[in-house]
Amino acid sequence: MLFHTWTFAVFLAIVLPGYFLLRNTRLWIAWLMLASYVFYGWWNPYYLSLVLYSTVLDYCLVTLMERCPRQDAGSDASGRRLRPRFDDRMLKGAFVGAILSAAGLLALAVLGPATLRPAASGLGMLVLLMALGAFLGSRRIWLFISVFNNLALLLFFKYGGFLVDNVNALLAWVGLTTALPDPATLMPYGFTYLLPVGISFFTFQSLSYTIDFYLGKVPRERNFVRFATFVCFFPQLMAGPIERARHLLPQYQAFPEVRLSNFTDGASLFLVGLFKKLALANYLALYVDRIYGNPAACDAPALLMATFAFTWQIYFDFSGYTDMARGVAKIMGFNLILNFRNPYLATGIGDFWTRWHISLSSWFKDYVYIPLGGNRRGKLLTYRNLLVTFAVSGIWHGASWTFLIWGLLHGMGVMVTRKLERSGFYRERVPKLAKQAWVFAFVCFAWIYFRAASLDDALLIVRRIFTAPWHDPQAPLLMLLMVGLVWLYAFLYESPWREILKRAPLRIATAVCMILYLCVFASGGGSFIYFQF
Amino acid sequence: MAPEPIIKQGEGLLVTNEQRLSLRQWAVALVLVALVALVTPRLWRHIERFDTGADYRIPYQLSNDYWLFEWRLQQTAAAKPIVVLGDSVVWGEYVKADGTLTHFLNRQAGQPERFVNAGVNGLFPLSLEGLVRHYGGALRQRKVIVVCNLLWLSSPKADMQDDKAQDLNHATLVPQFFPNVPSYQADASARLSAVIGQHVGFFAWANHLQYVYFNQQSLTRWTLDGDPNKPLCHPNTYKNPLSQITLTVPSGVADDAARGPGSARHKPWTADGSHTSAFEWVNLDSSLQWAALQRAVGLLRARGNHVLVLVAPFNEPMMTGPDRDAFRNLRDGIGAWLDQQRVAHIVPESLPSELYADASHPLTGGYELLARRIYQDEGFRAWYLAGP
Repeated sequence: MLFHTWTFAVFLAIVLPGYFLLRNTRLWIAWLMLASYVFYGWWNPYYLSLVLYSTVLDYCLVTLMERCPRQDAGSDASGRRLRPRFDDRMLKGAFVGAILSAAGLLALAVLGPATLRPAASGLGMLVLLMALGAFLGSRRIWLFISVFNNLALLLFFKYGGFLVDNVNALLAWVGLTTALPDPATLMPYGFTYLLPVGISFFTFQSLSYTIDFYLGKVPRERNFVRFATFVCFFPQLMAGPIERARHLLPQYQAFPEVRLSNFTDGASLFLVGLFKKLALANYLALYVDRIYGNPAACDAPALLMATFAFTWQIYFDFSGYTDMARGVAKIMGFNLILNFRNPYLATGIGDFWTRWHISLSSWFKDYVYIPLGGNRRGKLLTYRNLLVTFAVSGIWHGASWTFLIWGLLHGMGVMVTRKLERSGFYRERVPKLAKQAWVFAFVCFAWIYFRAASLDDALLIVRRIFTAPWHDPQAPLLMLLMVGLVWLYAFLYESPWREILKRAPLRIATAVCMILYLCVFASGGGSFIYFQF
Repeated sequence: MAPEPIIKQGEGLLVTNEQRLSLRQWAVALVLVALVALVTPRLWRHIERFDTGADYRIPYQLSNDYWLFEWRLQQTAAAKPIVVLGDSVVWGEYVKADGTLTHFLNRQAGQPERFVNAGVNGLFPLSLEGLVRHYGGALRQRKVIVVCNLLWLSSPKADMQDDKAQDLNHATLVPQFFPNVPSYQADASARLSAVIGQHVGFFAWANHLQYVYFNQQSLTRWTLDGDPNKPLCHPNTYKNPLSQITLTVPSGVADDAARGPGSARHKPWTADGSHTSAFEWVNLDSSLQWAALQRAVGLLRARGNHVLVLVAPFNEPMMTGPDRDAFRNLRDGIGAWLDQQRVAHIVPESLPSELYADASHPLTGGYELLARRIYQDEGFRAWYLAGP
């Protein structure tokens, strides 16, 4: 279900009254959970089982983790290996249950129908690990299972095809005749092998909860419904922002205080998001798709212009979704974390990453960069950590080498400019506009790899930008005018003239123009770019 | 890497813009939008030039411009001519505007504008019902001829009973939720969008703008109009979109080169050595198209219209013997239902086969003969002379 469809309007028209009617009962949270599952299941009801599976498993793992003592896992493990007596009934039950389940699943993997064997063996191994976790009473094993399980889901559904293709190509290159099977053949009962919408978002959100609990940053959420709503809260389920348990779960403890301003602010956010998506992103996509669809036929100015257009398209598309998500949540009384802060006005590449997809970059900072050592182990390791984090961030966006290169480009950009950006010269002597211009140019260049259909296409585009002749790019004036107006608005917002934008007539006129433009001129439809991630 | 991004309660909401309206500002904005939405379409009818005249028919390229269709009906409301509703048989797929059924009916009547061609190309009974329901309000209390083209009952596919999805011409007019039309498989959002479009006149007007001035597409698509296979072939790129709005509805004469006796298409169906075709006539009881036509007739009568149903003569020589029998049974069944409902109707005999371009569309001579036959029909004359 997409925010900019009438289906969503009807969905919301049912969900909101129900939500507010239930405010004095304990059912409001269950209503939100149910609504979220309907929202997700609308896309593909079968894949809802993945969200449920991930939720149930992480809930159970954290419950079991809580039963284990906070002490060194090594000594704890050796003690238990010698003396496997359970002093905790839940762990004992988990051990027995896991052993029985593992036996059943492994038997199914060997003797059951062929279509179930891959899934049964995978699950059997996981449950066996759980038995080990219960046996050793180790928090670390529970955490490992959660990380392993969430990453395995991602790996199979998102990167399965990519990995198999590349491994098979490698095997063929070294002369081996064996080949890995197509992941689609591993699906039970011939279910379609699809990339589940939003899988990267809900797995990361769930994962952050187990890691934070392991690290002692959040308490265990005892109420399953509340936890399930945290994992699948419909405004941000498909494309973020990726919420943290310590931010969102406390908001679920009681029905939020909803004021009139929640409605007006939420509607304001939603309108801006809708305009960004339907009027701007969809328009830019028309031009970008034509040029990037056939780069060999395009000259340098058209490729440059299309890259510039994509730079704005992806921003409007993604930040538009975030605005709508935050707007809907706001109406219900929830505050979702900020995801964008005028990123194209960044004055450094590092600064760009404090403004672009903030919830993801902070996730990678907390769960990849800092665990790797962050900047605490010397310059060389800091650079390595930065590069690894950006490479992972790149590949998170999609199963393709182009995304990896995009991530690495940004990683190298941050590495190279890190010292410069912190220098007094750069901060005080270089004009702000010049800094913004060069960062924007760099970001545009990196987007080429993000948008290109293949690595070959990306390299072709870069080559043609520098070598192809210059002819009319035929970028519509209206499109450039609209982007120009948004840019001007963003500049004004970050300038001393910001007060002008707060004037009531301007706000009203802007809202009226946006609504009328959407009704009369916008072309509807189209999914969000980040849904594929 | 990024700093802590969490916004705490009460802190800045938008952080990237100031487009945050208070309740009062929202109220003002919505009132302004509502005003524009209500006034503009009405005002537009005063400022846009829409030349019609005798034998006018909605131009082919504007077939989906239902706002224009509604305007056309309103335009004729004062003179109260007889409106002939139907599909491309009424519209005149192979003939020029002066070769249509309404043209020859007008000639028979001796009045150039006694009959109005309200045929819409590509329409079928399921969409005709929607057209009448949502855009036919101006027909109230008038004489209406509904032309029933049996081609739409000639197979389960034509009747839209087929489970295979079809790309429908007037998809937004068909029943979106009830009754179920198996061949129409749009998603819920498209259906809801169609329902809202049917009820909000402003959207129909916006659609009119796109159809008339932007080559039947949104403004944004129009700026990138061109050959999709040539990435850099956008003739409208630097044009001012506002200059496109010439405030004149195209007359539709230009498309007539493909129609009329001088055109290559205007020839008997046998000219290319065509043979008989197989028809899988559906049962009247289960026919979706027939049920829709029944509902359309019922709706018109409920609105005080004086309705006459013309069962368009079919090219019977195109059928094999058993198919012809089935067809006649079907036609008789329709006649019986109309009798039973006391709906005035005419079921003319088939025209000479050489006067058809295909199974159901007559050529110019066919329309002329049909108009003559209609005029000679006693039932028609009684209906014509009675009522308003």
